[in-house]
Amino acid sequence: MGRAGPSAATPAHLAAPGRLAAPVRAAAALAGLAVAAGALAVAAGPGRATTYAGSSAAGAALTVCAGLGLIAAGLVICLTRGPGWTGDLALGAGVCWFAPVWVAWQDGPPLIPSIAMVAAGFTFPLLVHLVLTRPTGRADSKPARVLVTAVYAEAALTGSALALFRDPYFDPGCLANCTVNVFLVRSLPPLARAVEIGDRWFTATAALALIVVCAARLARASGPARQRLLPVHLPAAGFAVAVAARAVVLQKTTVEDPFNPALFTIFAIGSAAVILLAAGLVSGVGRARAERRTVARIAASLDQAPAPGSLQSALAAALHDPGLQIAYWLPGAHSFVDASGRAVPEPSATPGRAVTRLTRTGRTVAVISHSGAVPGIESQIGPAIRLGLENERLQAELLAQLEELRASRARIVETADAERRGLERNLHDGAQQRLLALSYDIRLARAAAQAEGDAPADGALAEAAGETLGVLGELRDLAHGIYPAVLAEAGIGPALGTLADTAPLPVQVLGAVHDRYPAQVEATAYFTVAEAVDDAARRGAGHATVSISQEGGRLMVTVEDDGPGDASPMVAAADRVGALGGSLSTGRAGCRAEIPCG
Amino acid sequence: MRVVVAEDVMLTREGIARLLTDAGVEVAAEVGDAASLLGAVRVTRPDAAIVDIRMPPTHTDEGLVAAQQIRTEHPGVSVLILSQYVEPHYAMRLLEEHPGRVGYLLKERVFDVANLLDALRRLADGETVVDPTIVARLFSRKRRADRLDELSGREREVLGLVAEGLSNRAIAARLFVTERTVEAHVKQIFLKLGLDADPGSHRRVLAVLAYLRSTPLPTVLRPGQAGAARARQVSSPAPRQRSGAERGRTPHSTRAWPGSRCRLPLWSGSGPSPPGGWPRSPRR
Repeated sequence: MGRAGPSAATPAHLAAPGRLAAPVRAAAALAGLAVAAGALAVAAGPGRATTYAGSSAAGAALTVCAGLGLIAAGLVICLTRGPGWTGDLALGAGVCWFAPVWVAWQDGPPLIPSIAMVAAGFTFPLLVHLVLTRPTGRADSKPARVLVTAVYAEAALTGSALALFRDPYFDPGCLANCTVNVFLVRSLPPLARAVEIGDRWFTATAALALIVVCAARLARASGPARQRLLPVHLPAAGFAVAVAARAVVLQKTTVEDPFNPALFTIFAIGSAAVILLAAGLVSGVGRARAERRTVARIAASLDQAPAPGSLQSALAAALHDPGLQIAYWLPGAHSFVDASGRAVPEPSATPGRAVTRLTRTGRTVAVISHSGAVPGIESQIGPAIRLGLENERLQAELLAQLEELRASRARIVETADAERRGLERNLHDGAQQRLLALSYDIRLARAAAQAEGDAPADGALAEAAGETLGVLGELRDLAHGIYPAVLAEAGIGPALGTLADTAPLPVQVLGAVHDRYPAQVEATAYFTVAEAVDDAARRGAGHATVSISQEGGRLMVTVEDDGPGDASPMVAAADRVGALGGSLSTGRAGCRAEIPCG
Repeated sequence: MRVVVAEDVMLTREGIARLLTDAGVEVAAEVGDAASLLGAVRVTRPDAAIVDIRMPPTHTDEGLVAAQQIRTEHPGVSVLILSQYVEPHYAMRLLEEHPGRVGYLLKERVFDVANLLDALRRLADGETVVDPTIVARLFSRKRRADRLDELSGREREVLGLVAEGLSNRAIAARLFVTERTVEAHVKQIFLKLGLDADPGSHRRVLAVLAYLRSTPLPTVLRPGQAGAARARQVSSPAPRQRSGAERGRTPHSTRAWPGSRCRLPLWSGSGPSPPGGWPRSPRR
């Protein structure tokens, strides 16, 4: 792009970090199903008395629904190319969800409960990561990034410490697995106990932090963004409450007994929250698909030559983001314009608003300023919309050039008028004043000559005085022709009256214009009438009728005459009227000008 | 007689002041802009103010604005506007606000001291002064149907003097006829032109100027209809001007004019006069 590239926009291809390959996901999904089925079997067998899933049918149903819900949501997100790692995180969290049940498989291979013990600790970090990277796939604030990193690090540390030093035989809190740990290097029961208690309270604190961060994000987000966040953030807060409550209860009971009513209630609340969270994830996918379909419909409608700006309003409606704006890049002018060609400032990212640069063969076409919560807008804009954008950019470029041309014409006329006025003033204040002074001096000289009885000198001076007055009169007419002072000082109505006073043929002015208009409009109307009246006189017309009126935002000026033949094209007047964006037509009866007057 | 001269070009201002002083008129103050003019009028209480129409700061119509202010605040002070524009619009604007004791003269005319003194004296008499060049221009205006053709030569002469702002008495003196003859002429002229204005009123100047600026249709109208027909297509479109034409038609009985705005056109003879009397115009 070189210097032509807008700096603040994020290149769209960087917005989507890498994802796991499709076969890996399919395998993970199958594994997830197997894990779920196995967990049911474990719960029905060895875990009957030691797991929530085994304690009752409700517990089993909640466990399976929550875990499978997460796995299903992860699959759906992966298959619909959701943002970032969201789908993979959901899959991982779903698998880990079943880990506490697998811990209870005491009569199976000792490796399984050992792994499950470590994996169980990762459900919470995965869910925190998943929630805080909604909906764009990236954590958007520093507290969120710190929290995600902290919970992962703590889970890894706790998992390693428990794997290496926790001897289930000496764990007073053991219930589901009191026998095996294949990773045990050295039995350090006090350390393991301390790690367990520390983990519990850290997790409780992190859960409260999660609630705070979620609340802050909701408070900060704009309308459409909040709509996207709510379905995931509200259940996440519920889950966090359950996690914190579990830590409080466990501090008293030590052993996590699934038949303890308080603990089971907490488990049920947490599971329900996870189920709702999974549902929120799936609904977000549905919403994104609906938006994409609407965007596709816009593409389909593009072949009907839309009006400038319609693409922006259509995209804004499709993405439920009324503040969405498209700025088109004009490489020639090194500036941004909107669809109608008006210059706009370069869009920049602000809190709650993101910008996406759309390029075509390396050149910037447009920059879209949109709500920060619209993930991967680049991926939603298909080739047809890209063509539409390119088309609208070209149109905007053309409109901008037209506007520039019109402004330039208006400036030329304005400058010429200012010069005319300046000339009239210079004549009035310069030559005319000096001629007046001269005529005064001549009078004084004449009075002196008369006093001395010098008749020849008196006669010569009288002639000079008459000559001076004649020149003064001619100069006055010249100044009036250059720019009538009454036009600037009293407006178009009085100026047309004076024009009729001095016209070479009878001129009737119809329509009373009392209002003042911009100087350019008044001058254009006046000189158009003057040129038309001159033309009528040249063609030998007997009289002319001038009509002037305001209709809407336009000043209508019509000059009709009874002269033979068509009116001349009136190039000068046509240029003036055209420079103001109006139109002038001439014909058999005279001319008609429409001048925009604001 | 005491006057204040307001003119931003020093050469012209001093020329006028010198002419006046030489003619025995006291120049109470010489100023260069409208604000100083108003101050000078307040302080010196002159008989008349001679005001350039175009003065600082905007060089547009400061003079006209100042004239209206002087006439409103100091009804005893006449105002003579000096201009380089042969522009009936300005003269009529001046007259509409204050029909008596205001004048509009071209600058070159005032360097003939007789013209200047004549104008000042007429203003002191309560008359109106309109520059003959403006009246001549209106008379030479091209018309489709010229009712002026119906006037006799003498009637055209009287009409021109009415347009210049002269009272019947002044016209009579100028034409060496009796005042009754002039009255008869004026009545006849107003009848022929279809002017409904009271031929004796102060507003007749405005009515005549408005008539001269209009472009009557070539239809023959009875006198009673002419006013209404013309009001629909009067060529001077400013509201004040149009209402001026209407005022000209409005009978006094239906509209109460403030006394100060409707002075008797005839000089009562009670005004101040300089010692030794007024210098006479060579034309008289």
